Amino acid sequence: MRKLLEIALGVLTAIGGFVDIGDLVASTETGARFGLGLAWVVVVGVLGIIVYAEMAGRVASVSGRAVFDLVRERLGAGVGLLNLAASFFITLLTLAAEIGGVALSLQLATSVNYLLFVPIVGLLVWLVCWRVRFELMDNAVGLLGLALIVVAVAVWRAHPDWGAMLHSATHPVVPGTESHAAYWYFAIALLGSAMTPYEVFFFSSGAVEQRWTRSDLLVNRLNVYIGFPLGGLLALALMVAAALVLEPRGIDPSHLSQAALPTSLVLGKLGLALALLGFFACTSGAALETALSCGYSIAQYFGWPWGKLIKPARAPRFQLIVLVSIALGAGLVLTTLDPIKLTEYAIVLSAAALPLTYLPLLIVANDPAYLGDKVNSRLSNAIASAYLVVLVVASVATVPLMVVSKAGGG
Amino acid sequence: MAQRLDAALELLDRQLVDKDGQLAGKVDDLELTDPGDNPDPPDVTAILTGPAALAGRLHTPVGRWLAKAAARLLAPGHQQPSRVPLDQVEAVGASIQLKVAAGQLDAGAGEARARRLIGGIPGAGDAAQ
Repeated sequence: MRKLLEIALGVLTAIGGFVDIGDLVASTETGARFGLGLAWVVVVGVLGIIVYAEMAGRVASVSGRAVFDLVRERLGAGVGLLNLAASFFITLLTLAAEIGGVALSLQLATSVNYLLFVPIVGLLVWLVCWRVRFELMDNAVGLLGLALIVVAVAVWRAHPDWGAMLHSATHPVVPGTESHAAYWYFAIALLGSAMTPYEVFFFSSGAVEQRWTRSDLLVNRLNVYIGFPLGGLLALALMVAAALVLEPRGIDPSHLSQAALPTSLVLGKLGLALALLGFFACTSGAALETALSCGYSIAQYFGWPWGKLIKPARAPRFQLIVLVSIALGAGLVLTTLDPIKLTEYAIVLSAAALPLTYLPLLIVANDPAYLGDKVNSRLSNAIASAYLVVLVVASVATVPLMVVSKAGGG
Repeated sequence: MAQRLDAALELLDRQLVDKDGQLAGKVDDLELTDPGDNPDPPDVTAILTGPAALAGRLHTPVGRWLAKAAARLLAPGHQQPSRVPLDQVEAVGASIQLKVAAGQLDAGAGEARARRLIGGIPGAGDAAQ
């Protein structure tokens, strides 16, 4: 019974945990500009994170080692350090975007300028990382994030033509108003938002800290196989809602309020309130996870004590990195850089950096010295290798596409 | 310890764990005997750890700069690597078990400095629940 509860809780928090500011922005923007022409990328991205998150959880359960710990052991000190620098920078950028997202959600609810909320949000995120019952808070915001289901309800209640939607999702075309470069640029952004590296840093570090063992492999699989696809459905619902409401009206979303607009048009004030609650919870949870991931990556590379469950005084360097990262992230938002733009850059750069995280993970997942008989099956190796090719192509194409499409600007 | 190991593969970049089971840094570099005219491969005499040891091993200017920046930020005044003689090594496996406490290593200075910085914040000594 206890196990069942644990599984249910894990799955539910994985649903809310999948969606963050990157998905809110990327799904809404692509839906508004390309209809369902990029829906297939969400499916590709969800399958990719499933394959690699399962691997990360399995490696953590069997070997007791978190992802960044192994990055250095497999890639060596030099390449590992460059990998660390890139991964840390991107996770920090994502943390800033999440803090901006929490503040924007609060602005939508209160009409008070978001910049006033930024220092408070930063302080609260730090307090939770410092000592306030982290697991409880992370589960709480994960569950509150389920309020986003209201977006799916709004899509349902709008009585769309399901047949036509399925057709446009399975026969993607680039709209006449958009360039091919912009189409592929946003495809990469969607991939980056689905497979953001911090998700596996956080997931594997959590598994190590909770001392997962071989007996937790089932819990790992259920979390990943059920939680992520349902999270992907929420991302798709955001895209469909934008395609139904924003695209016909020619609205190009440049503000978070437009992600909530379809829901509030269909379901009224209550719908809007629930959508905003969902935005707030998802971005808060992701802010906590990215803040800790900043600490995980550096501490694990250098072999220092880390963890959110041990006394801060026993992992002082880890806690110091988390504190400084939150301050830097909040500081970046306070420069009045547009949080939506910040999010776009964070997810596109994430996409460019994906092979850095996933290649070492794939190598370790095939090494019997770490995994014994739990090494990758042929099927998961075939899928994972195919993904690695896709990730490398996306990574190489990112900067040229960014230049040609002027960062997606129409 | 006349054990034969592929030092590059089985020692370098491995996790160090101190006598109390606490994480104590990584094997950042190795100290070798001077082979002289002897054609045999040199012997490992000690494990070197700390950002200073890491900087000495990196070959790219960017890598060296990053490692030195890390050393300066986290352990100013301790630009020398910590040296752990092989007789202080308990066991070599997926991680390297030491017979000494992390605090006795020079690299522990960075940890102590960070602890001073955050130790004054209320709750530093409390475990999260």
